[in-house]
Amino acid sequence: MVVVVQRDACVGAGQCTLVAPDVFDQDDDGIVLLLEPEVEGALLEAANKAARLCPARAIAVSAQ
Amino acid sequence: MTTSSTEIENAMSNTAGCPFHARSLPSDGTPLAPSPRFAEWREQGAFVPLDFQDGHEGLVATRYDAVVSVLQDPRFSMLPARMPVGPATLDEPKSEGAAAAVPLELPGDLDEAAQASELLNLLTLDGAEHSKLRRAVTARFTVRQARSREPWIRDMIAGEVARIRGSKDVVDLWHDYAMPISARTHCHVIGIPPQKYEDFVELFVEPSTAQQKYDFIRALLEERRNDPGEDVITDLLNNPELTQIEIEGLLRLLMGAGRDSVAYLIATASVALLTHPEQMELLRSDVEGVRPAVEEFMRAGSMFVTLFARTATEDVEIEGTIIRAGTSVAVSPVAANRDPAHWGENPEQFDVTRDAFGHIGFGYGIHGCIGQQVARVEIREAITALLEGFPDISLVSAEQLEPHPFAHPVAVYEAGEVLVRLTTA
Ligand code: HEM
Ligand code: SF4
Repeated sequence: MVVVVQRDACVGAGQCTLVAPDVFDQDDDGIVLLLEPEVEGALLEAANKAARLCPARAIAVSAQ
Repeated sequence: MTTSSTEIENAMSNTAGCPFHARSLPSDGTPLAPSPRFAEWREQGAFVPLDFQDGHEGLVATRYDAVVSVLQDPRFSMLPARMPVGPATLDEPKSEGAAAAVPLELPGDLDEAAQASELLNLLTLDGAEHSKLRRAVTARFTVRQARSREPWIRDMIAGEVARIRGSKDVVDLWHDYAMPISARTHCHVIGIPPQKYEDFVELFVEPSTAQQKYDFIRALLEERRNDPGEDVITDLLNNPELTQIEIEGLLRLLMGAGRDSVAYLIATASVALLTHPEQMELLRSDVEGVRPAVEEFMRAGSMFVTLFARTATEDVEIEGTIIRAGTSVAVSPVAANRDPAHWGENPEQFDVTRDAFGHIGFGYGIHGCIGQQVARVEIREAITALLEGFPDISLVSAEQLEPHPFAHPVAVYEAGEVLVRLTTA
């Protein structure tokens, strides 16, 4: 599955980095960075959780 | 089950003059055991009528999904900042907090530059204006930044543990433990030097005037201009896009916001554990469990009965309810954090093994708490140190176990005395 982030929408609250540290990080300004654009298994689960928790709806996980 | 707009209108007219103040926020709950009224409201609909302090009739959202929908919908504005009617507030708040962070009226004796700064409060701004200022301070509040503060926070807390251990037999955990931990971390992250700690406490923990706060901020900025560090003030001074008025406004908000909330949460988590000894033993036998348990402390012990109310800027339909333009909507973290539709069975139960991520204790959406990552570290380390340092700790009394007035016009609880005995001897 493919992960896409919208850096423009991010508010830097860091939920993604907290629940899926192997998939997301935050840059020096706190804005989301995508570490793993393709995820399966445990990483997919974590990425989905991050997408659900992201308060800015800045994360999408989809088949392509 | 959703409530139609006609039902809402009927409900609004039907309850006018209700002798039970059915449309005020309830006063019969305690911070860890909220009023049963919230469960009734959740049953009644996604939104139910609520009175606001200016006489305006608005709504309150108590279901998890409705709360999340409102908080992420850009058609709601933070202005006008109206407060819901709640139970009596304390005559004199014990500390400065959310109310100080959200000026509803500008104090008349404030100088002009400070008045302009007051209007730049993140919690009263929308859209691009808000995100420009918010992005100016996110850098010091990332997960990575919070992690890099861990060793400092741990050392500082070890000092506080040693201090209370040496002091006396009965200790007020709120005032003598949680408060200094929250204030010292706040100073550390913002960039207030240790020698100004006492001044910070006098101005931002004890009540003071807005003018006194701005005078302190200005003097501090002068002092720090040629003395950079790893902190918010350094970032603000180095940001060419910010005006002096914006910098002062941001600092005024950051210094006032969240410090009391951290102290509140440490105190409340302590009370929750001391009144649930089996949960306390569970964490003591595996302190790694404190990390996820912080989310449960936040869920079960939310300080915000409602957040700052949002106002619809146009007609908005959510879950079948039409919210008319101009209507204020208060959203309730306390209620959403106990919505069985989201949390499943036993949402009222305090359970440190629950996956409580996704709680609304830090808010949600673009105004979601900026300090939440550092707050998590503070709460985790403070509770871990208590568990490890005081195996025989027991509760003597806690104000929070009784129904509690609100601390401010904003519907938040304030921590009260939490008296504990540290040893059995
Ligand atoms: C356990 C501790 C804390 C709790 C429960 C808490 C709670 C909250 C909540 C619920 C909001 C959203 C209000 C709304 O949407 O109406 C918020 C916003 C905010 N918090 Fe916290 N907070 C905590 C700690 C902190 C700390 C440590 C800081 C700063 C160092 C902080 C700074 C802020 C700021 C600046 C905002 C406004 C953000 C914006 O409007 O974009 N908070 N907090
Ligand atoms: S959770 Fe969303 S808003 Fe927060 S840092 Fe990650 S992408 Fe940005």
